Amino acid sequence: MNDLETLTALLTMPAVQRAALGLFLGAVGLPLVGVIIVGLDIMPVRFAMMHVALLGIAVGLLTGLDPTLCALVACALAGAAVSPLADRPGGLSGGMGLLMSLAMAAALLLIAVSGVNAASAFALLWGSILSVRTVDLVILGVLAVIVPVLFVAFRRHLALLLHDRELALVSGVPVRLFTIVLLVIVAVAVAGAIRLTGALLVDALTILPALAARRLGASLTSIAVWAVAFGLMSATGGFALALLLDLPPGPVLVLTAGVITVAVHLIPERKRSWHHIEAVSTHSH
Amino acid sequence: MPPRGAGIRITALSCTHGSVRAVADVDLEVEADTRVALVGTNGSGKSTLLRAVLGLHRDTGGTIAVDGHVARTGRDWTRRRRECAWIPQRQSPGSFPLLVRELLDGPGGHPAARDAARDLGVGTLLERPVSTLSGGQFQRVHLARIAGSVADGARVVLADEPTAALDFEARAEARSYLLGLGVTVLVVTHDPDLAAACDRRLEMAAGSLREVA
Repeated sequence: MNDLETLTALLTMPAVQRAALGLFLGAVGLPLVGVIIVGLDIMPVRFAMMHVALLGIAVGLLTGLDPTLCALVACALAGAAVSPLADRPGGLSGGMGLLMSLAMAAALLLIAVSGVNAASAFALLWGSILSVRTVDLVILGVLAVIVPVLFVAFRRHLALLLHDRELALVSGVPVRLFTIVLLVIVAVAVAGAIRLTGALLVDALTILPALAARRLGASLTSIAVWAVAFGLMSATGGFALALLLDLPPGPVLVLTAGVITVAVHLIPERKRSWHHIEAVSTHSH
Repeated sequence: MPPRGAGIRITALSCTHGSVRAVADVDLEVEADTRVALVGTNGSGKSTLLRAVLGLHRDTGGTIAVDGHVARTGRDWTRRRRECAWIPQRQSPGSFPLLVRELLDGPGGHPAARDAARDLGVGTLLERPVSTLSGGQFQRVHLARIAGSVADGARVVLADEPTAALDFEARAEARSYLLGLGVTVLVVTHDPDLAAACDRRLEMAAGSLREVA
């Protein structure tokens, strides 16, 4: 049996089909979330949200509710709660450290006190693409529709906000409301992607495509298009490789996305690249 | 004919940067449609004063009324920022690119901004990321943007060194464009010709303000 036949045979299995669908849906919505994370310069937020997700999972296991949904709600609430910090001069970084520590401590305490199986709580953090359930597909599907729709509808506001928060403010962009909505989307997306790639590998479909796209795009719109394209390439290529080589899909996905990102950064910068000239123009004023 | 611009009344304004007092008990009254130049050495508090009018500087005391209204709520500040157009001093390092077209047509934009961009010789730069502009192009693009804001109803222009990066000829053009907008103008400048062309000239030194001419 050659590679193509092997792949085709694997793709007839329901679990593999669900995983492929989940990855496709994730690759549409999550790279745009990555663009928001990179644009707002809130990389630490996703680490904090992973810890909050663990707290949500612990609550879910303790109460018998769906752990993924509990993680989703916990992350959404945490995202909204930390948004006022974005107005502060220090930004979100300090608050994220605090949130990360508190969420982790609370999760561990909850696990210890309630007698919940710690291994099953942590297992959800690693993710398992082949155990994607209908509820996970629904969450990813909703994200795959809502995120691009919001992105297109508010691209003019987002372009200003991601370029310069103060300029957005004086131009009438409701910066505070946008920040809350964006942080909630980021938080929900991180929680929603948990079962797909695992919280710790969520970067494969969020940050890495966005970082590669930022290198090539000259505007927010072109960056968004490149990010989704890289997301789809990573998801398709990484998943196919993992199936063919019989390797765990999560790490292979991250490595595929990482290789693409590094390769893009090895392409020589164009003369008119916005970040290249930015460095020059600030000295010529 | 009623004035197009709005009056500004600043009372006992103080602004701090940490423990440093950038603006100290400043009182200022600017009548509608008056063009006022704020001059003074670097770090004397001029830019902070402009930023305080827009609510961009948080640590302030005293009151600032534009057209008789003091901003207290979020809605008040939204109104204030619609009423006052701002030309920033320098480019934001911005982690993402913004096209000139997106800046001119974006929220708070007006078709008149594109006309102004053509008049100011930057109408061909619409597809360029703002971060790739030279200092002079950047200032002309922002001048075009605020021309759009004025057409959209802004009644005050707050300009922070709007001619600093321009050559001699472009300075004269920008000067006449800015002062010909027909609204109240409060402009921070080191350009003696721009300051002389204004109706009033105020000097800031160590956070205090005094009338020069």
